[in-house]
Amino acid sequence: MAPKKKEEPKPAAAPKPPEPEPPKEPEFNPAEVQIEFTAEQIEDFKDAFQLFDRTPTNEMKITFAQCGDLIRALGQNPTNAEVLKVLGKPKAEDMQVKMLDFDQFLPMHQHICKAKDRGTFEDFVEGLRVFDKEGNGTVMGAELRHVLATLGEKMKEDEVEQLMAGQEDANGCINYEAFVKHVMAG
Amino acid sequence: MGSGVTKTSEFNKRYDRAMKAAVMIQRWYRQYVARMEVRRRYTWNIFQSIEYSDLQDQIKLYNFLGYLVDNFTPSSSERNLISHIFRENEVCRDAEWERYFSYANIEVPDIYSGPRLSFPLDMAQVANLAEAFKNKQQLHSRYVLQLLLETWKLLRVLPNINRVSTCHSKEITICGDLHGQLEDLLLIFYKNGMPSLEKPYIFNGDYVDRGKDSIEILLILFAFLLVYPGDVYLNRGNHEDHIINLRYGFTKEVLKKYKMHGKRILKLLQKIFSWLPLVTVIDHRVLVVHGGISDSTDLSLIARVDRHKYVSAMRPPKKSSASRTNLYRPAVYDEMMISKNRRGSLMFPKPLGSRDSFQRRSLQNFSSTITRTVEEELEIRRRQSEFSLSSFSRSHQILNLSLSSESEPDSSEFTNTNNDEWKQILDLLWSDPMSQDGCIPNEIRGGGCYWGPDVTEDFLNRHNLQLIIRSHECKQDGYEFCHNRNVLTIFSASNYYEVGSNRGAFIRLGPDLVPYFVQYQATGMTRGLSFSQSMKRTEHTALKVLREQLFAHKSDLISAFQVFDKEKTGLISLDNWAAAIERVLRLDLPWLVLHAQLVSNTSDDLLDYHAWFRDLALKKPGCEHIEQTLLEALYRHRSTMETIFRIVDTDNSGFITFEDFRQTLKLLSAYLNIEISDEAVNELVINTDTNNDGSIDIDEFMEAFRLVDKSRLERGRSLLKFKQENQDLPQEEQTPQTAESAASQNVQSPDPKTSDSSDPQTADSLDSQTRDSPVLQRADSSYLQTGTSQDSKTAECSAPQTADSPGLQTDSPSSQTSDSSGSRT
Repeated sequence: MAPKKKEEPKPAAAPKPPEPEPPKEPEFNPAEVQIEFTAEQIEDFKDAFQLFDRTPTNEMKITFAQCGDLIRALGQNPTNAEVLKVLGKPKAEDMQVKMLDFDQFLPMHQHICKAKDRGTFEDFVEGLRVFDKEGNGTVMGAELRHVLATLGEKMKEDEVEQLMAGQEDANGCINYEAFVKHVMAG
Repeated sequence: MGSGVTKTSEFNKRYDRAMKAAVMIQRWYRQYVARMEVRRRYTWNIFQSIEYSDLQDQIKLYNFLGYLVDNFTPSSSERNLISHIFRENEVCRDAEWERYFSYANIEVPDIYSGPRLSFPLDMAQVANLAEAFKNKQQLHSRYVLQLLLETWKLLRVLPNINRVSTCHSKEITICGDLHGQLEDLLLIFYKNGMPSLEKPYIFNGDYVDRGKDSIEILLILFAFLLVYPGDVYLNRGNHEDHIINLRYGFTKEVLKKYKMHGKRILKLLQKIFSWLPLVTVIDHRVLVVHGGISDSTDLSLIARVDRHKYVSAMRPPKKSSASRTNLYRPAVYDEMMISKNRRGSLMFPKPLGSRDSFQRRSLQNFSSTITRTVEEELEIRRRQSEFSLSSFSRSHQILNLSLSSESEPDSSEFTNTNNDEWKQILDLLWSDPMSQDGCIPNEIRGGGCYWGPDVTEDFLNRHNLQLIIRSHECKQDGYEFCHNRNVLTIFSASNYYEVGSNRGAFIRLGPDLVPYFVQYQATGMTRGLSFSQSMKRTEHTALKVLREQLFAHKSDLISAFQVFDKEKTGLISLDNWAAAIERVLRLDLPWLVLHAQLVSNTSDDLLDYHAWFRDLALKKPGCEHIEQTLLEALYRHRSTMETIFRIVDTDNSGFITFEDFRQTLKLLSAYLNIEISDEAVNELVINTDTNNDGSIDIDEFMEAFRLVDKSRLERGRSLLKFKQENQDLPQEEQTPQTAESAASQNVQSPDPKTSDSSDPQTADSLDSQTRDSPVLQRADSSYLQTGTSQDSKTAECSAPQTADSPGLQTDSPSSQTSDSSGSRT
């Protein structure tokens, strides 16, 4: 399935690459990030950071792999690619091994917070509407599962399972507005 | 693929949008998961924190009593109370015990429909017994006593160290703490099969307390032991100890279920517990012990001790007064000694390894009343740590003092050896692993020690072993390795803190001695709930418990807030709020992360703390005329208070005299450093001494200290309903009852008296409600121990989680693959 086989001289925008990778951006430089958080917010982040700290002696360090989780836990929703970028594009084997401390974490988090394209309820619903074949406010659960597991930043099967648990009706359909509310409400 | 231009570009567009949508959903999902993870973690932290805080109370209690003995001369009556508390039970010879526990003259009425046992037992009977318990039947006390006696006879001939072998390709199953959760035991049997000649089992202690079916678990395990003595091995846990049982619910459970013979059963169990073997060794290679080890653990010594002399961790062996030295000084834990800081400690390095373990809390500060300097204290602690006797030495000393005034008929020689042995046993049953090297006293538990990886390695080498399997600590996944996979913790009570809090697990060990794990989660209550739903439920409970704590410390919190809010505007900033709470509660929780859950109106800057307290929306106990701070203090320490009452009630009748009650409150007032005036005491008494005979029903008294919120409301309603049934008042609708109040329904005296004032009362005024229940007083009346329909009716009304048939539950959705989750390590 290679969508970009032929380029036509179209007035519309040039075909975008299929993966949501930010095109040729400069590397992330933590030193250039201005921290704009308040002291209270920083305390809050520290508390959460502590919750993720699994070092035996409480060194206030977390692994690279946890960084994305922590940023998300604090209310942002970056893509995996965005997280990897602020981590400095580490190798896969480094993710579980390399650690960062709170001071290293803060500029990463700030950068993500500043990112504009965060997505609203409407965006989310719009996104799902794509799969609404009949235009009746529902999507097929099976289709959604397939998409989530194969497109974009693929989810694992059990993750999909967890997300969709209890959402499908007897026909295997999901009312996506309700679904979005469910996910966003947490 | 499309051939035309338009088709392809259309396709592209749609594809793009689909991609965008997918990415968007995935991002949001991952955020959702991360948020859930945070909640899961802090929920776990809350439970652990509260549990450790509660453990501290027990230690504080004994320290406190020791403090009294040391630091002021109690009046003669108070002294009697203390020695009363610590008096050893009369030691009878075996023949006398047998007579005391004779069951032969207990008649089992025809109407009894529960299981009947005939000895010697066989497998069919045991299976039948398990089935009966599953159906909420109760075993008649005659059979209980008979079973226990047979068990005792068997245990007496067992060695301290069980030795098991995996010859004949047998796989041995090892289970950890069960804590009265019958559902889990039945689930294990369902998944793994019952014990048999081909299926040996080792149970690693802590069968009782906290859960509501402790006695049933014991009976099943003992029955299996009798049928397969060569294939069922029971280790003693720290909860197989009658003093611990006073606090953590087993005593209460037995007395409620067996109103007439409960005391005898408990006494017999006291002996049985002391006769349980201490450790089990598999193939001379794997040690299975409940708590752990210390740097002085020596199996050859363990093999030689008279284990039955050590009846309780709280009662050290008697010691001749000549050898009482200065080393056993009161272990007063000054706040300075224990670091408030999460990140390290003044005196001891932070011993607790994984995130699930917790730092020490500081204990009640007696420093104002003690004239000891910090240096002296440090010195004492250092010396104490050498002996690792910590607070158990307290009761030792008290015992000496109380005994010195009484003559001892039986003065066998007790030497330092006894103390060494006692320490060894404590270490086995109470210790916890830590991640740092070394071995230090276990301050949180008050007994045993924290031992490090170097101690493990040394121990394994010395004894030629390769693995230590222990229990004693709740683990979220049911099991956990540490010390470089040389130590394995196995915990078999799922949903230990709350529904959904953790999985249970058991181990299968074959001749290769490689552990294979099976995890499970009893889901009686959560069947049909998704993972997030059950997690939310757990979180809800944790937060509720936390709110209660906050409420109970209201006065202290307000003072702490006002340190920041000197003008008393009633407003405080969030981080000051968090700091103040931590200072007062010392639970080491992420308050800022939690604040969204604890404070409803999260406006930006300042928090109106008075409004916040009102919002906590808990009604305080019904003694309005009693001073707020006193009430809070009593509420906060209600579990300690209850424990003292039960200790004082030495014949386990459920009642204490008015005089003892007053004495206890006076002791408490000294302990808590607050004024409990005589009027306040009288007020408290009047509210609870319902039959005016000068004795107080402990349960009733404690009822007054239940905070009223929704779940308590149910309990109140059930009490009301119970009274209505006995007084022919208009019925209310059936509400689910907890096992406790349901058990009180059991008490049907042959001729119910009508109560004095039969106004139907709202559940809000619980204290006055408890006044009019004369039937409850007749606890020792001729209530027959029957397993009749009454009991099954009770069972049906008991807590909803047992409404479905337990033990045959499917695993929770998150552990669908539980069987294959066994990892060959």
